[in-house]
Amino acid sequence: MSADAPQRSAALTATTLLGPATFVAALGVIGPMLYLLRYSFNQYDPRELMIETFTLKNYQAFFTNSYFLDAYLTTLRVGLFATAVCLVFGFPLAYVLARSTSRYKNLMIIAVVVPLFVGNAVRAAGWMSFLGSRGLLSVTLMNLGITSGPTDFMYSEGTVILGIIAVNLPYMVLSLQSVLEGINRNLEEAAYSMGARPLTMFRRILLPLALPGVAAGAILTFILAMNAYATPVLLGGPSFRMMAPLVYGQFQLNNWPAAAAIAFILMLTTLLLTMVVSAITRQKFRVT
Amino acid sequence: MTGVQLESVCKFYGDFRATEDVNLTIANGEFLVLLGPSGCGKTTTLRMVAGFVEPTRGSIRIGNVDVTHLPPWKRSTGLVFQSYALFPHLTVHQNVAFGLEMRKVPKSEISEKVMTALQMVRLDHLGERYPRQLSGGQQQRVALARALAFRPDVLLLDEPLSNLDAKLRHEVRVEIRNLQQRLGITTVMVTHDQEEALTMADRLVVMNEGRIQQVGSQRDLYDRPQSQFVASFVGRSSFLNGRAGGARFVTAGGLPVVIDSRLEGEAVIALRPERITLANAPLADTPNNLPGEVEFVSYMGNLIDVHVRLNQHDHVIAQIVNRDDTNVPAVKDRVFVSWAPSSSVFAK
Repeated sequence: MSADAPQRSAALTATTLLGPATFVAALGVIGPMLYLLRYSFNQYDPRELMIETFTLKNYQAFFTNSYFLDAYLTTLRVGLFATAVCLVFGFPLAYVLARSTSRYKNLMIIAVVVPLFVGNAVRAAGWMSFLGSRGLLSVTLMNLGITSGPTDFMYSEGTVILGIIAVNLPYMVLSLQSVLEGINRNLEEAAYSMGARPLTMFRRILLPLALPGVAAGAILTFILAMNAYATPVLLGGPSFRMMAPLVYGQFQLNNWPAAAAIAFILMLTTLLLTMVVSAITRQKFRVT
Repeated sequence: MTGVQLESVCKFYGDFRATEDVNLTIANGEFLVLLGPSGCGKTTTLRMVAGFVEPTRGSIRIGNVDVTHLPPWKRSTGLVFQSYALFPHLTVHQNVAFGLEMRKVPKSEISEKVMTALQMVRLDHLGERYPRQLSGGQQQRVALARALAFRPDVLLLDEPLSNLDAKLRHEVRVEIRNLQQRLGITTVMVTHDQEEALTMADRLVVMNEGRIQQVGSQRDLYDRPQSQFVASFVGRSSFLNGRAGGARFVTAGGLPVVIDSRLEGEAVIALRPERITLANAPLADTPNNLPGEVEFVSYMGNLIDVHVRLNQHDHVIAQIVNRDDTNVPAVKDRVFVSWAPSSSVFAK
């Protein structure tokens, strides 16, 4: 019996450590989500607002309505594109940070993170004053005589993607940097000494070894991009539609069943693509 | 002919001089060891030959090609690292094949060449394993096979044995040396371990503070060190400070010592512990026969170190062999030490 005592106290410690977070997650996230899932099968009624029933109509409506489908495809396109750009831009930056032996290395890492200190809405305001028709870019172009009148760079898909990249890049860089730092530099040197040029070395050695970081960074930035709210609303303008603002819009119309269905479609899409990415990386990085 | 030639090679990092004026000619098939304490410039020198560090001044030739400004992938060097540096996501076979693929060896020949290389290190049965399924010694042998598979001009070994435990170190040491001699490949090894250096090298280079201190055979360095640094770094020495003049030397403590050297002025005598004779009574007809008191006895099994204090300033270590009839002195015993006048003397 006394042999069981340490085991029991270890179990107790684990419960104590995991308990509070699990409780908050269960109460604050899982509960409402299940509630929302149930809502998504209810029926909307303009007068009664919501009728308890079990129907797939909300999901059907989403995939048959071009207004919704358009937002869905825009969201996917923006999410994938922003993630790809973050990866391409983030990798060299992360590599330099990981390989740096400078005493200012910590400062450089802080510089990467600093943009995250600014909230998304404030950041969007910054972009507006830069890209708006009376913004810095437009005025500069006029003064240089490149354009004759004010140009509005706001309210386009490109602006939204730019805004999302600016938010997500630090996450990508930090995910990649931590993995790259764990890759012994001698591996690169060994490849070079055997005759591999830098690009070959990257393709055959560095990239495969960095794949877990690529996957982590890609998944993180993709989830953030898919669920972006402030950036598409503020930089995309009223006629630009992505999924997260769409969900909120439906809530505002008091159409809870539709909002719930859209929310779950967004969540399942993100989850599915995330699982595909992690399955691919796990298969490629099969080291027994 | 693929020797290696370094001509007044310097590498400066700002004010820091990593290597300065390094001149070396490594003959075809020679095993050269760069020996020195950490920070002496030996690794920088090796990395300059490999192409990872570009010299600030000077030139490097491999064979007849000036490689001073050539990137590493355009040179032909096989590298073995202290950390093994095997590609963890590739099998042993794929690791060894990498260099052959990079050098565009036809696919049909690669497999055979990989097997040959793995056979050289007796690991041809482990080709399908991943590096992390191998022991440290096996990993380093795979690294060696990988470095040799594409028949590089030069083999470069960067402290290849430092991560292995003592027993394995001896095995891999012999393995590397045998292979090197069989293939007749020009080899440069960096190490801070003098035993490793002495047992493996054809010729040694002792470096300190970025400069070459002495180049020579084991015997040159041990019996004829040219500086106090070499005398203390290669083997052990006890030192007597003093003044030299007219084949005589007076120690700091005022003891007269006979020397072979014609040196004048401040100088230091280096005495190898095993070249000092220890006796209970003064020996007749022996120069440099001095009385002293045993200060400390260090028992090492086969050998015994006896620290003898001659006076307040002078102190020597004598090493005696532990035989059946050895008379091991005790602390505070009065003894006599003597040595030949041919001991090394350096100006200060």
